[in-house]
Amino acid sequence: MTGDMDGQTRRVYWVLLFAPLVLLAALYLFPLSRVLWLSVTVPSPGFGNFEQLVSSSAIQRVLWTTLRICVLTTALALLIGYAVAYAALHLRGWRGEALLFFVLLSFWLSVLIRAFAWLTLLQSRGIVNTWLMGAGLIDQPLTLIRNEFGVVLGMVHYMIPYAALPLYANMKGIDPRLVPAARGLGAGPVHAFLKVYLPMSTPGLISAGILTFIFSLGFYVTPALLGGGRTIMISEYIAVQINDTLNWGVGSMLATTLLLSIFAILAAMSLFVDLRRVFGVR
Amino acid sequence: MDETRIQTFQDDCLELLRQKTEGRTVGRRAFLSTLAVLGVSPALFRLTPARAQARELVVVNFGGDAVTAMTKAWADPYNKTATLKAVIDGAGPNSAKMKAMVESGKVTWDVVDRNLIAALELGRQNLLEKIDYGIVDKSKIRPEHAGEWGVGSYIYANVLAYQTDAFGGRQPKTWADFYNLKDFPGKRTMRKHIDGQLETALLADGVAPDKLYPLDVKRALDKIRSIKKDVIFWATGAESQQLFRDREVTMGSVFNTRALVARRESNGKVDFHYNQASAWIGAWLTPKGNPAGKDAFKFMASAQDPAGQVELFKLLGNGPVNPAASALVPADLRALDPGSPENYAMQVPADPEWYATNSAAVLTQYLEAIS
Repeated sequence: MTGDMDGQTRRVYWVLLFAPLVLLAALYLFPLSRVLWLSVTVPSPGFGNFEQLVSSSAIQRVLWTTLRICVLTTALALLIGYAVAYAALHLRGWRGEALLFFVLLSFWLSVLIRAFAWLTLLQSRGIVNTWLMGAGLIDQPLTLIRNEFGVVLGMVHYMIPYAALPLYANMKGIDPRLVPAARGLGAGPVHAFLKVYLPMSTPGLISAGILTFIFSLGFYVTPALLGGGRTIMISEYIAVQINDTLNWGVGSMLATTLLLSIFAILAAMSLFVDLRRVFGVR
Repeated sequence: MDETRIQTFQDDCLELLRQKTEGRTVGRRAFLSTLAVLGVSPALFRLTPARAQARELVVVNFGGDAVTAMTKAWADPYNKTATLKAVIDGAGPNSAKMKAMVESGKVTWDVVDRNLIAALELGRQNLLEKIDYGIVDKSKIRPEHAGEWGVGSYIYANVLAYQTDAFGGRQPKTWADFYNLKDFPGKRTMRKHIDGQLETALLADGVAPDKLYPLDVKRALDKIRSIKKDVIFWATGAESQQLFRDREVTMGSVFNTRALVARRESNGKVDFHYNQASAWIGAWLTPKGNPAGKDAFKFMASAQDPAGQVELFKLLGNGPVNPAASALVPADLRALDPGSPENYAMQVPADPEWYATNSAAVLTQYLEAIS
């Protein structure tokens, strides 16, 4: 009797497992692979599209812009996210929770609304410049937006929750008595942080870093709105190739490149850390 | 509306229209007749994509939700006389969608609102039906607007707009002034797309209008690069207008329709002219193997009616493509009509041939140059 139940339960599990897998394969993996297939078949079979990675200066420029902005965004988001997570964990009473609440609040705001908010604040007749000029601190409005500075600002703002939350989860698992113990053994505050706390939060930094960097690679709206039209990242370039120039081969080649780069990053990271732990599978 | 994808002129028209009706400055009937000229003709708006299963004429433009409430009432007159009922699909007929549709063999669209360049680009890829000039009346348009795969529907332009009080009483007259940051200081805005933009650089450099095409791309891009740190590139018409409203820029290379609205809302503090402007022709296209067959051309013929074209101009600034309609434009508005004989003569018509051949490659170079 019990054995029958087990067999039935197992069948139910298999169905529950396969139904979403089949659905995913049919509605996601199949169309995706068809699009990616274009990269080696259109306009003619072969790797002609991929040659453009080395031969096209336009593509190299876009890739370089994307890489530069993503690295900068990831670094800044980690730095700020680390401080926020640390503060949220160590502030007494309601302050830590309030801090976390505000991080989550911005997490829930649409990327469009945030971009327009930055525009309103930072344009040359925006609130910040008006105030600074009114206070006599500057004569000419500062160019805070519609350049690469604006793009990085907007992206870092978007990415801080993605950096802070994994770090917070990681730091929660660090025994709070270890740093005082190190201090008790004679380490200075900086030394204790660098030798004890930082190494223990490294897994958090790595998972937050991967998450932030991969997300940054696909940014589209923020650079388009805050970059003054002069900051063109890979997603926007792909969209132009698909929708406008109808170079579907080049567009899907770049999409393939983006996807493979992400897998490559994950593979490289897996050499150094246990990815299953980083992403909380174990 | 999607904020970042490259916006077409037609996208922008409907957005303008939407803003106006929400502000209730346009009468309902006027709105309906405008939609007709834009291609949102007689129709029932349907939530599901219009499918030409049975016997309907599917007219596709960039309508979106602006069309929703109105199409039903407007459908009646056309559907009374037409054998095929028309329905509207506001899906936004960009080239990618049309290509996918025709290549998959499941064509559901009959008439599409684009321009003469798209007509050549798509027509040469064997994606379009040829216009039947037995039904569409060639005599109602200028000869150059009767393309093999597309027929002119209205005129729009890329013009020089400026803040009138920004240069101590001087006014920029030419594109040379646009590129002259010393005598005309301040930021500029240009479109993040090549349409009409390279022309500004070459005209500023002294290239004669009749020698403009084929465009000297390298020379144009060098010129644009020389001022690009002072240029904000706009992706949507709304963005270009907002830049003037916020006084972020002193001059812009923008759609005449947006310049017109900026001029009106600023009480003339923003102005524009058609001197050296780039004239563009909106056009009707029919995807290859369209389900309704020849009825698509009957619809195009009906949109040639001068009264509707004048109404469209009054509301949006798209000039009548039918020269007979220009004469019906009220005297006080004639100076603003891109299709009036005086203004049309001042402009340099964009060469569909050049764009159809070079657009894709040069757009990529342009994006590289400005980034």
